[in-house]
Amino acid sequence: MITDNAKKPTGVEVRRAMARWNEESQRIRSPILRYGLSVVSVAIGLGLALALQHYRFHDVELPVLTMSIAVTTWYAGIGPSVLAIVLAVASFNYFFTEPFYSFAVTASDLPYFFIFITWALIVAWFSAAGRRIENGLRQARDRLQVELEQRQRREDEIRQLNQELTKQAAELEASNKELESFAYSVSHDLRAPLRHVVGFSELLQRQASSSLDDKSRRYMQTILESAKRMGNLIDDLLGFSRIGRAETKKTAVNLEQLVREVVAELRQETNGRDIDWKIGALPVCYGDRSMLKIVLVNLVSNAVKFTRLRSRAEIQIGCVDLKENQVEVFVKDNGAGFDMQYVNKLFGVFQRLHRPEEFEGTGIGLATAQRIIHRHGGQMRADGAVDQGATFNFSLPKAQDAAERSANMP
Amino acid sequence: MSELARILLVEDDPRDVELTLTALGEYNLANEVVVTRDGEKALDYLYSRGEFSTRSHDNPAVMLLDLKLPKIDGLEVLQQIRSDERLKLIPVVVLTSSHEEKDMIRSYQLGVNAYVVKPVDFHEFVNAIKELGVFWAVINEPPPGSVKKAP
Repeated sequence: MITDNAKKPTGVEVRRAMARWNEESQRIRSPILRYGLSVVSVAIGLGLALALQHYRFHDVELPVLTMSIAVTTWYAGIGPSVLAIVLAVASFNYFFTEPFYSFAVTASDLPYFFIFITWALIVAWFSAAGRRIENGLRQARDRLQVELEQRQRREDEIRQLNQELTKQAAELEASNKELESFAYSVSHDLRAPLRHVVGFSELLQRQASSSLDDKSRRYMQTILESAKRMGNLIDDLLGFSRIGRAETKKTAVNLEQLVREVVAELRQETNGRDIDWKIGALPVCYGDRSMLKIVLVNLVSNAVKFTRLRSRAEIQIGCVDLKENQVEVFVKDNGAGFDMQYVNKLFGVFQRLHRPEEFEGTGIGLATAQRIIHRHGGQMRADGAVDQGATFNFSLPKAQDAAERSANMP
Repeated sequence: MSELARILLVEDDPRDVELTLTALGEYNLANEVVVTRDGEKALDYLYSRGEFSTRSHDNPAVMLLDLKLPKIDGLEVLQQIRSDERLKLIPVVVLTSSHEEKDMIRSYQLGVNAYVVKPVDFHEFVNAIKELGVFWAVINEPPPGSVKKAP
């Protein structure tokens, strides 16, 4: 039922189809011009036919008038085409069919009318088809034009972004160079006066220690210690800045081996102390060995340092699988711990949560460690409570995943 | 005295010179030292020209070279020495304030014999200088053409 209804065109649909067809077939927009063309083309056709007939060319009137109808249909659309047919039929009937010079219609005229109408329909159909193709082509051309413009715009944008990027890269390189030369002069020039302070204080102490009283000797000692501390600060700060500037040389690193190496190197500090080391199985990670060693040295020596007041220190190093491609290593101690409300200060440069006379240090170790972990694409966090010990966690990409990643790289 | 000097110290900072001489003095090596205060003077000394034109042409048994120097810096001096047929055998020890890796790498590339970072701690500094002085001026047998040990 529904399909039947759909197949049967309603009056509105037909009118709409006609309008579209009309629209598609007519090339001249102004109605006066269109109907004018209809009259003029039939008149010219008729004139031509009459002139040819005058010169004894017979039977050309039909093609000439159909030509006129064709031209009208092609350029002016349906309305003028109907007018042209009517005019052509009338003039053909009047001039070229018997009885001549009368509008009387005989049965023999009917095929001619039929030819005119069929011809007009064929031309109209071709015209509409032509228009449709033309429109399609025009639309395609417009689309292409728009696309071309968009592409041009995008190319311009890309070029602009590229320029900005180049500029930024140059700026970055310049500021990096500046930083490097800054670090270089700090390294060269800041240490020299310190060495002199220490050296000459030492010489003065040697020279005059017998004539100095206790107070003066303490002053002397303070000068020396401060200068040495300053030296350590400068060294640590340079180390910290070097982490940011140095290139990471990443390889597969056996963390368990590295941890044992670090613990062995700290033997001097742990001598004479009762420390219960619990080192779990650790995976092979992907990273810069010497940098990761700095991280572990910092975390493990912190654990050793802050458990100093415990009669029996417990230091646990292990790992948990975080995600399939990441591993989290932890260093846990039962030492002095810290107040969690200051946790975000732990990783700041020169930030300390303990007084220097409690626990010595420059306050840059954790900042350096965090910077290294960040450079490896990992995260670092701390947990703790006052007198309850502290746990430091850092995440790293696993070696096998990194190997796959580098294997997949083109 | 400079005729007999077996240690050439190239150091621009007078305080460092004094500390170094003090350290060497503890092993009675201070009078074996000639001090030049920049790279240009150091090369003048080695080539026996300018104020050192009356000097004998013997090379020092060791050269203690600071890197940051006025006019011609330590690395340039080192490069010049290593490219000179007569001077290239002189043992050179770089004595510097800096831990910078690139200085160290460059120095070794230019053929330095030792690279020593001056410790901030005075005792360590004295020990380092003493050991350097004793090793290069007393224990080590210098290449031919060097100043002979005083009998």
